[in-house]
Amino acid sequence: MKYRRVSRYHGLKRPRVRQTWNKYNLYNLNNLREPKTLYNTFFQQKWGAKALARGYHGEHIKEKKWERMFSRRLLSVTDMDPKYMAHFDGSEQAAGRGSGKTQAPGSPPAPRNGTSTKHTPYMQMTFAPLERRLDIAIFRALFASSARQAHSLVVHGAVKVNGMKMKYPGYLLNPGDLFQVDVDRVLDCTGVKKATAPKKIEAASEPVKEESGKKLKETKIAAKTLKKRRADIKKLYWIAKGLLEGKSQSKSDGETETETNKVLRMKRQIRARKNAVRALVNTVKKINPLTPDQEFLDDESKATELVTNLSELLQELHLDFVDPERARQKFVETEMAKAKLEAQMQANKSTMLRNHPSNAADMSKAEKMAAKREAKREAERILLGPVKEAADQLQSTDRGTLSQLIVKQLVNPYDPKKTYVTPWQPRPYMSPFAFIPRYLEVNQNICAAVYLRHPVARQGLAEVPTPFSEELNQLAHNWYLRRG
Amino acid sequence: MAPRLRSGGNGLSPLLLTCVEGLSQRGGSRPLAGLTAIIQNQSQRITTPRSSSRSPPCSAPFSTSAPCELNREQRRMWAWLRGQGKKFKTAPDPDQPGPDGDTARGNGGGPNYVGSFDGTQVFRNNKLFKSEPVLSEKARDAIFSAVVEDQLPLKAVSQKFGVDMRRIAAVVRMRSIERNWIASKKPLAKPYQRAVLAMLPQADLNPGEMPFEPINDIHVHMATMQQLFHPTSESRHFTRRDAAKAFGAHTLPPDHKLRIPEMIDLERKLASGVPSEEAHDEFVAQTARTEASRAKRLKGRRTMAELNRTRVATDRFEFRFENFNSSAVGRTGRGRTAVGWRYGVPSHDRKPDQVKIPTKME
Repeated sequence: MKYRRVSRYHGLKRPRVRQTWNKYNLYNLNNLREPKTLYNTFFQQKWGAKALARGYHGEHIKEKKWERMFSRRLLSVTDMDPKYMAHFDGSEQAAGRGSGKTQAPGSPPAPRNGTSTKHTPYMQMTFAPLERRLDIAIFRALFASSARQAHSLVVHGAVKVNGMKMKYPGYLLNPGDLFQVDVDRVLDCTGVKKATAPKKIEAASEPVKEESGKKLKETKIAAKTLKKRRADIKKLYWIAKGLLEGKSQSKSDGETETETNKVLRMKRQIRARKNAVRALVNTVKKINPLTPDQEFLDDESKATELVTNLSELLQELHLDFVDPERARQKFVETEMAKAKLEAQMQANKSTMLRNHPSNAADMSKAEKMAAKREAKREAERILLGPVKEAADQLQSTDRGTLSQLIVKQLVNPYDPKKTYVTPWQPRPYMSPFAFIPRYLEVNQNICAAVYLRHPVARQGLAEVPTPFSEELNQLAHNWYLRRG
Repeated sequence: MAPRLRSGGNGLSPLLLTCVEGLSQRGGSRPLAGLTAIIQNQSQRITTPRSSSRSPPCSAPFSTSAPCELNREQRRMWAWLRGQGKKFKTAPDPDQPGPDGDTARGNGGGPNYVGSFDGTQVFRNNKLFKSEPVLSEKARDAIFSAVVEDQLPLKAVSQKFGVDMRRIAAVVRMRSIERNWIASKKPLAKPYQRAVLAMLPQADLNPGEMPFEPINDIHVHMATMQQLFHPTSESRHFTRRDAAKAFGAHTLPPDHKLRIPEMIDLERKLASGVPSEEAHDEFVAQTARTEASRAKRLKGRRTMAELNRTRVATDRFEFRFENFNSSAVGRTGRGRTAVGWRYGVPSHDRKPDQVKIPTKME
């Protein structure tokens, strides 16, 4: 089906409230005044009311189609209180002259089912049949920013109903139907749009320069902050890298170490690691790379690469922090490997000192193994104490903060390949439109929702989300009853 | 040096502006260009309030096209968006603690509607529609664990949390899909979930809170929507059952229409002095029994349907043949429950514009 064509979709002169999250629509919704009907004929009143109401309810659906969907049966429910039902069989309401006994003033009130005395707003249910449509249900579940967008999601095959692809936006959901929208498409529809490339302003002559001295200053400041930001991110990147790879690479290999030297080196390493963690936390706090400047990211491919690398590094780091046992293991392993190498070197050296090939041949395998084991034990003795200390240090408050930040980065990563701005943010002016009616149960994690039942009216509440008053909806309902 | 022009009041003469523009076009003289720039600059300052977001063509000099001014409605809209409407622009931050200081839920700010007097009214003109709370992540976890881990019957879970049975089934169904996604390392829409939940009112289903929704509401039958004059003796004990019968043979009394009729028994037991725990245990056992018998009944129906069906699997399709009663077509041969093509009944299948949208997906 083609869209119904609408001129001036978000007009301000003759405003129509629409099913969108647009800011023009928000303004129109805020200023919505219902037409005065005092001097109008009944026909005019009905016409005006249905025109206004149809501008919101399924404006993309042709009038003929909606006329066929319209139903004069308006669903409602009444709440039954089991406590009341356990105590009364209803005969007290038929007592007296058939409409309940008249109570003497001052006597306790007659038992009632429930407490609400409000009326049931049936007229607000006029457009309830439209809420059954798949596209409108997707919009109501907050998976698309307008009903028309939801319509196109369905047409382009991003929606499944009960696990099967459904391509008809006009599919009427049955109670219990589960519909799922592709997660990436939902993030695209509800997230901040990527800015299109700015239009090139034609090179203007001097007057522009004259008048835009202030502008020039602004751009200079922007460039400066940009440069600083870039430097910050770079710094962060190197800190993270250093933290991961360990900072003790400077020691030359061939040198032999005394035990005290070894312990000192270990301590230095731990201190360096601790400092690095602290520096990382401080930098992260300061520049907040999790929401990098879009301008900056678009500007420089190098910066993009840096941030991507950084997120990988952070991921690796995160594993360390989430699982301290793994971190400790890793630390021990690297140090063991180093110690082993050193032991090997020392053994080689001693063999060289002996300077006798036959002696070396004499040295049996068992002896070699014993020497190795000895070296290992020695290494463990030296290493394990400081390692434990390091792990304890990592469990300090820094660890919590850093871990939180890293988790945030992992959950909502920067990804330049996406069609929306990353890290994902909800689009502006979304919150005044964010509500989920009770006939839907939504799981936002998997972008799925279940159509539990048809919308109903109950005492004091109607479940059809309509921006119009009961009077206006009643007039619209009367129009569709087609009784002249 | 460009001559300076000083405008006394708000209005700049449009005549002067066009005259200056015309001159500069014809002669292209430098000093006048400066003048034009100044005039345009000033006129813009008058027409556009804080025109930082205006498109560049407006500020470009020597334009022959009509100056793009905002009309009255647009000016009002932008003024509102920059003033009162400003609070609607940014979404609440899910990392900020909510008004109750709850950081775990991440509901910084909470709902924010234009029609809001008490924070739940979405539309200004419609007091009869409220943005009702949705289940928080914590509540969904509690429901899932009660059904899957504690193996409680759905009716008992519904009574425990005050949540509709159908909603409980939906929560469990979608949570299990979510679990599968996590197991297969399919990425979840976590940032979206956090942002959306921060915009919505949420219910944690803590004991002692307001009930989430009515769990025993019954459909108002069309036959009962009219008043009925039913003469009967004054001495008669006229109950709900009798009233239902008076409305017609097909209307059930509300006691039979309740979703969890076992709750009436529970209330009776509590009223008669049975200890609360004992009564609740009995209630759980009773609901488990009714659910088991319903499951058995459904299973029996399914096996019966399967017995009536022959499946023939080929490499492309699975053909299913069902026995059917040929007399179901009725006297006219057009019975609604009958299957198959019938002589004289036109088929619109191949006509243009016949969109065959499925009515159910199973």
